[in-house]
Amino acid sequence: MSGLLDPFGLLRDAAYGAERFGRSLLGQERIRLAVTGLTRAGKTVFITSLLANLLAAGRGRRTLPALEAAAGGRLRGVKAVAPELHGLPRFDVAAHVAALAANPPAWPARTDDLSSLELVLELDRQSLFGSVMGPRTITLELLDYPGEWLLDLPMLRQDFAAWSQATLARLRSGPRAAEAARFFAFLDALPNYAPADDSLIREGAALYRDTLRGCRDKLGFRFLQPGRLLNPGPRGETPLLWFFPVPRLLQGELAEAMAERHRAYIEAQREEFFEPYFRRFERQAVLVDVLGALHAGREAFEDTADALAAIAEALRYGGGWLDWLTGVGVDRVAFVATKADHVPARQRDALSALLGHLVAAPQGRVASAGVATSVHALASVRCTEDDVATLDGRPVAAVRGVLMESRRSAKVYPGEIPLRPPEPGFWEHGFFEMPEFQPPRLDPAGGAGVPHLGLDALVAALIGDKL
Amino acid sequence: MSDPNAPRGPRVILEEDTRPAQRLDFQWEQAVVPVAEPRPTVRWSGIGRVLGGGALLIGGITLIDSVNFVVDQFGRGMLEGAATLGVVAGGIALIGSGVWREFRGLASIRNVDQARAAFARGDLATAKAEALRWAATVPDGAALVPAIQAARTVDELQLALQPCMQSLEQRAGALGRSAAMQAFAVTAISPSPALDALIFAWRGVRLVRQVASLHGLRPGLFGTLALLRRTLWDAATVAATDVVLDAGARALLSNPLLQHVAGEVGAGAVAVRRMLRLAKVSAEACRITPTQ
Repeated sequence: MSGLLDPFGLLRDAAYGAERFGRSLLGQERIRLAVTGLTRAGKTVFITSLLANLLAAGRGRRTLPALEAAAGGRLRGVKAVAPELHGLPRFDVAAHVAALAANPPAWPARTDDLSSLELVLELDRQSLFGSVMGPRTITLELLDYPGEWLLDLPMLRQDFAAWSQATLARLRSGPRAAEAARFFAFLDALPNYAPADDSLIREGAALYRDTLRGCRDKLGFRFLQPGRLLNPGPRGETPLLWFFPVPRLLQGELAEAMAERHRAYIEAQREEFFEPYFRRFERQAVLVDVLGALHAGREAFEDTADALAAIAEALRYGGGWLDWLTGVGVDRVAFVATKADHVPARQRDALSALLGHLVAAPQGRVASAGVATSVHALASVRCTEDDVATLDGRPVAAVRGVLMESRRSAKVYPGEIPLRPPEPGFWEHGFFEMPEFQPPRLDPAGGAGVPHLGLDALVAALIGDKL
Repeated sequence: MSDPNAPRGPRVILEEDTRPAQRLDFQWEQAVVPVAEPRPTVRWSGIGRVLGGGALLIGGITLIDSVNFVVDQFGRGMLEGAATLGVVAGGIALIGSGVWREFRGLASIRNVDQARAAFARGDLATAKAEALRWAATVPDGAALVPAIQAARTVDELQLALQPCMQSLEQRAGALGRSAAMQAFAVTAISPSPALDALIFAWRGVRLVRQVASLHGLRPGLFGTLALLRRTLWDAATVAATDVVLDAGARALLSNPLLQHVAGEVGAGAVAVRRMLRLAKVSAEACRITPTQ
């Protein structure tokens, strides 16, 4: 919502900007790092690895050399802020590391609720005069949440009619149409003035939910709304979620009931999720499972690009005169291709380049607001090492790791990663997923952090200037 | 037309051994052990250069003038020369001892930071050395020395220091209550709000220094400033909350008499609350172990 239409939001922004300014004067800065990513992009593992490695770096371990270089050796300690009296569950980094280190190991399950953690980085001051004033602190605030919920963000700017039209158009295109056949049959069978009958609404909502699930799990699509229908969170499915898109021809009680529930849902999401957690942040890491999107086919690849562009369009990056006035805005955004250990080292540049093409639209939108951007490839937890495999009598660069299911060691050749969105002929294969690897041997206490690839460069790019 | 090079999915080549494989081991714990203590770079800021230059000019020219003056005085006579030399030497010695005390005060606060950092990163040797140094400066610290020397882990060391830390916190609390009573009394009888603020600030600085002395620190002017800066954010947060509460209470009371009485009592209560909070955050700033 525009600042002029929301004076209370503007006042809160001004207070937030003033607090930021005061904190920077006192050397007590606070950075809210928004980790955004679609479902299965690896947000929880990323946050676990980031926190574990930062805490280890605070204990003097060289887990993040690029960050250490950015800090100029002045990082004195890192500690988790003690839990206080607020409603959010605490992100349990120790439990996640212990699960990864356990035998058999377990990757974090699908995130179904919000959780947060704050870390305080204590740094020596750079100037001799400033050192009289004692160390500086930077509080890093992180939030974990279900990726599905992020896709509700673009819904905030659409009314029910526009949302219905766009959603049904998407569902009718490509392989989604087959998955949505039963839902479309249900819509087609509805009379133009259908009554707002409860059983009818529940049947439609269930069919729509099954369609979304099929698109997500069988086809690898991500741009699926509303997100809470796919991942309702700890409270489970509530009547607020029983709505579905309807064609323009449908009018009467049912259409009105759907529009009313859509409006109530949007308001609830705005108040409970977006206003408190995504209205104001300073840094952003956009995580993308590029390999997953590439292997899911052309439509899924383009769907991922559309979803990322829609989210970026809905987020607020500053650059306007009201943002300048209130001192609120994003300083840096990093686009990150996760699971980079699934390809050998020589292909990681190609992975970054492909991500650059995939996020061209959101990157352009962010850069136009004057925000510094960068593109990275990383593995939050490194699970493989480079190797050479022989395919059809010729050696190819591959990765070697231990497969999660069979617990057998295997070399995996992921195929050649294209430097740019591939030609149509590239996609003529079915949807498939990369095999899942076991995490490497880890210290269950997490004292030495977690092996990673490129995490330090990413963190240095995101917060290095503040150190 | 189909692309002959189109991928057929990732090719998985299982190794011949069908037994469960060992997990990969990158020797990460060894790889991240620091090879050498990082050396932080220190630079002179603009303000530092200005102050350093000013100090050099004032100190250097004063010294040169003093030497010239002493030489001139010796030219007038031995007695005048010796007397001037004595005065100049005495003055310089006093200034030097003052500067030395400032440096020692600052160094003692930096030792607290070093000790905390050692505890945070689990560096037992440094933490133990800092704990022994600290034990020599606090009352009842001598009794802790055997336990400090016997500690085998940082957690054990922290546990050994815990009783003394609790006792110091209680004594800091008592100092805070005493300062709070004085602040309350002053607020009640003071004729002007400006005087309130002045006395409150003076009592606050004194409280910070008292708590620092309790923890074995002898902060001079700069040391006190450094400690005040550490307590400033908490104090500012408390003050902001107080302003809101105070304004809210005043807005709610419309009766002029009630407003006056409640306002003054409220101001006194706010002063007490600030002093107690200041004692607590000062004690936290002076602890050599990280706050739990």
